[in-house]
Amino acid sequence: MIVNTNWLKKYTDYSYSAEELAERLTAIGLESNLIPDKAAGLEEVLIAEILAVNPHPNADRLTVCIVTTGEKQFAVVCGAPNVKKGLKVPLALVGSTLPNGMILKPIKIRGVASEGMLCAEDELGISEDHSGIMILDENAIVGGRLADYLASNDRSLEIDLTPNRPDCTSHIGVAREIALMTGNELYKPDINLSESESATSAYISVGIEDQIGCPRYAARLVQGVKIGPSPDWLVKALASIGQRSINNVVDAANYVLMETGHPLHTFDYANLKGQKIVVRRAKAGEKVVTLDGIERELSDDILLICDGERPVAIAGIMGLANSEIEKDTRDVLIESAYFNPRIIRRGSRYLGLQTEASYRFERGADYEGAIYALERGAELIAEVAGGRVCRGVVDEYPKPIESPKIVLRYERTNRLIGMKFEPEWVKKVLVGLGCDILNSNAQEVAVRVPSWRPDLEREIDLIEEVVRIYGMSRVPSTKTLQMIPNISTDDRYDRIEKLRSFMATCGYSELYCNSLVSARATEFGFEPVKPVKLRNPLSQDMTFLRTSLIPGMIAAIKHNFNRRRFDLRLFELGHVQAYAPEEETQARESLRLGALLTGYFDEPNWAYPRRKTNSFILKGLADTLAHEFGVCNLNYSKAENLFFKRLVKISAGKKVLGYFGELAPDYLGKDWDIEEPVFGMELDADFLLKQVNLAKIYKEPPVFPSTERDLSIVVKCEILVGDIMKKIRQNGGDLLREIRFYDLYLGKNVDKNEKSLTFNLLFQADDRTLTDAEVDQIMATIHSNLSRELNARLR
Amino acid sequence: MDLLNRIDEVRAQLQNDIQQVGADPQAAENLRIKYLGKKGLISVLFADFNSIPAEQKPQIGRVLNILKKDAEARIQALSEKLKATSSQDEFFDYSLPGLTPAVGHLHPITQTLNRVIAIFREIGFVVEFGPEVETDYNNFQALNFADDHPARDMQDTFFIDEKRLLRTHTSPIQIRTMLKKKPPIRILAPGRVYRNEAINPRSHCVFHQVEGLYVDENVTFSELKTTLEVFAWRFFGADVKTRFRPGFFPFTEPSAEMDISCFICAGKGCRLCKYTGWLEILGCGMVDPNVFKNVGIDPEKYTGYAFGMGIDRTALLKYGIGDIRLYFDGDVRFLEQF
Ligand SMILES: [Zn+2]
Repeated sequence: MIVNTNWLKKYTDYSYSAEELAERLTAIGLESNLIPDKAAGLEEVLIAEILAVNPHPNADRLTVCIVTTGEKQFAVVCGAPNVKKGLKVPLALVGSTLPNGMILKPIKIRGVASEGMLCAEDELGISEDHSGIMILDENAIVGGRLADYLASNDRSLEIDLTPNRPDCTSHIGVAREIALMTGNELYKPDINLSESESATSAYISVGIEDQIGCPRYAARLVQGVKIGPSPDWLVKALASIGQRSINNVVDAANYVLMETGHPLHTFDYANLKGQKIVVRRAKAGEKVVTLDGIERELSDDILLICDGERPVAIAGIMGLANSEIEKDTRDVLIESAYFNPRIIRRGSRYLGLQTEASYRFERGADYEGAIYALERGAELIAEVAGGRVCRGVVDEYPKPIESPKIVLRYERTNRLIGMKFEPEWVKKVLVGLGCDILNSNAQEVAVRVPSWRPDLEREIDLIEEVVRIYGMSRVPSTKTLQMIPNISTDDRYDRIEKLRSFMATCGYSELYCNSLVSARATEFGFEPVKPVKLRNPLSQDMTFLRTSLIPGMIAAIKHNFNRRRFDLRLFELGHVQAYAPEEETQARESLRLGALLTGYFDEPNWAYPRRKTNSFILKGLADTLAHEFGVCNLNYSKAENLFFKRLVKISAGKKVLGYFGELAPDYLGKDWDIEEPVFGMELDADFLLKQVNLAKIYKEPPVFPSTERDLSIVVKCEILVGDIMKKIRQNGGDLLREIRFYDLYLGKNVDKNEKSLTFNLLFQADDRTLTDAEVDQIMATIHSNLSRELNARLR
Repeated sequence: MDLLNRIDEVRAQLQNDIQQVGADPQAAENLRIKYLGKKGLISVLFADFNSIPAEQKPQIGRVLNILKKDAEARIQALSEKLKATSSQDEFFDYSLPGLTPAVGHLHPITQTLNRVIAIFREIGFVVEFGPEVETDYNNFQALNFADDHPARDMQDTFFIDEKRLLRTHTSPIQIRTMLKKKPPIRILAPGRVYRNEAINPRSHCVFHQVEGLYVDENVTFSELKTTLEVFAWRFFGADVKTRFRPGFFPFTEPSAEMDISCFICAGKGCRLCKYTGWLEILGCGMVDPNVFKNVGIDPEKYTGYAFGMGIDRTALLKYGIGDIRLYFDGDVRFLEQF
């Protein structure tokens, strides 16, 4: 919504500057921004006329324009396509300053000196337009300043209205708010109609078939108008708020809309058949051509204005082409109605069509103000287009709407806001808003709210008005804050934070990936799930909710590869959604932890060799996480999956904690055009977080020294190291505290089908120093078990 | 004393001696004599080895041999090192780059959210969570959004079916909490939210919010102001000014917007604040009586306030990030800066 400062002054007096007005309106809830003054910064730009356009000797696309400021001629090199002899254009001479602060310097363009620059609108800061030189009106004064040409003493404000304030979609509405602040009077223009002998009712009758959709329909006829251009004041008024002039009748209706906020519609009476207006619902599938020339199919939510035979307008949204005002229109029927906001909104959404009219009707127009707007429209049309206003209005208003009666309690107001308001001041505000005071005492005041404020329905709405007009910034802040002695805890947040920080500590950087993904991305996963689909996606590749974090994370890897970053350690903690196989309707949300590795794990350095990443770094991460978050008895087993070359399933008891492995080169190649190996892991973070015990209990470290022994054996290749370690643990008894596997050897001196393994074993007792004999005894048991069950040989 | 223990002791002593060696080029030779000379400590161990029982010999022999080889190798290495050092005139290049640990970085949204939560936790707010797939009831109806009201246009919604959608704000967590608990309630609700809006440098269809709610007897607008002023000072700095102006949210009334004075231009006007001197930070207001009715709380007895802010946008302001899409690219050159 755009309002103009001078236009506003027609309805109330105020002395605020434009800047101050914007600030004050913002403070009472009408967020206003000043539209930049077009003339600012253009004091040194002149108006010139092009005398000749000569080709540039060295460049086909450039021209050398000879321009005059009346006294002097200048040669200016120009690249714009729209220069022509006789045009009046803005000229910045060498040495002058442009609005962006740039001072024009002497310049040679492709060998020809240019004495200045012909400017496009963007160079002048007027608009973003750079398609060509700005062309000025023929009557622009050559040699004059562009600033004077553009100057006007009024400014315009753009108001970002909240949806609850239809009353402020007009100059009178905004003026009412200004009057509330200044205490000055609000005056609506008086109407002086000279009516003709013929009565409107002799020419038109109105029948409302849908009284829910259209509670009120009023009309008036103006005969014998002459369609033509609007007078200058009207063109300028509309231009000041960014509206184009169309013709005198349409402009007059538009002016009334911008003045009162009430949409009027104008019909060419000659094209209305049967001398009647019927308001009815459309039939589903019914087709009409709106005045923008588009054929539209309607639904039965849409309200139609019809004549005796056919639809002539989509109520409250747009007129139809068959009855619009044309050049030869003589008689104009003006419509001023009140339509049901919900029905207009449904229709406007169905058609995907928002207009100045629908914007206001769907927020709630003024049902009582309809007649004032109609009279004002008739008066103005007669004034600017001639014609005779027919006597009386036709006003179908079968069940007059009564605006609500509301009681405001002072104590309640004070208790909610936290300060004391003076009852007298409160009443003054309510009256200023347009409320009628029905009765009042020391405790409360009862009012009837005005018809233009459909948002005022309850006591709380009036309390809001009181604090809004008082000024929210003026409400004092309390000196203290109340606290609740709280025993409920929010561990989950702490745990999530612990998990995140732990991952960062382990060297992984955090990703936030889009949770909206393509169908292909939902195929990725470890167990089959049914993805959740959006009914109205933004685009094809964002149709589903992700079922795994990994595809989004691979996209991030690809993004980094494209920027030549090849060593990556990344993680994400985020939600995935899917329908569980057994329940079709309830999507299940789960928190996942994803980790991806590729390239080298270490930074390049001068001291150590760098480690290539591999799956076992992820396995080690899983072990460490499990330990840190209190998950016991991890189990690893081999798994199969199309997307992985090698995949390992991690379980804790019966529960699957997650998977890790090397992504399949085939998948990386085809889907992502990635050739380097990438390793990935995805864990059930909900499970991990459930286990965490943030309370730790300290255990004394052992007092007695430990004993270490190495164990080197040779076994068949296919025997799993994990199985050997399990056997060692089983046979090591309580005194075996740690097993570290630290050497794997294949090759020279070892048979092709065998491998040589070395373990370091640590023994310790809590109550004594172990003797060699004791440890030897255990080692002997381990040896004999390994050789018996796994055919292991000592080395 | 048991021979194995003595072996351990000698190993430890050698370790210690090697660490204590200075730059004296003779030191290696001295150690060789001390441990490996004819009467050296290790030679003595070998002498004693001969007298232990035969069945212990294979094992202890192996350990003793390892010690000897280890000692020889380490003393040799020390000797070479000392020679090299002396030849370089003890040159120590302190300017060699440090060996940096592999560091991970938390996402700027995480860091911003943590900061916000930390401030509100200090004044007694407790964190609550809720699902991203919500019911139309929790996301709109219970929050006093009428079915066909234009207020719904403020939040273009992704729908899953008739009744379910992707939450457009974290406010449904208010509803879930108030249905579950009786006042007093003082919660903070962070989370990911969705709006069906085209992605551009200033907005994304996926973003993050944090919402606060306080319900009790005698909660006032005046106290809401104090709470948010404390937050603004703690988060943006003690010299920022705050401004409250009327706003509109269906689930609060009165509704307000809090602006802070632009911290780039100190209120003089710049590009960041669109030359207004103010930055819009959060929306807030007093809980609408209709919301209380929807969750079975008596609006005559209890009052409450709620506030909510976009974390992505706040982080954008705080860190001077120019394009919101950077959050989702995962570019490590971006992440490593936080
Ligand atoms: Zn600024």
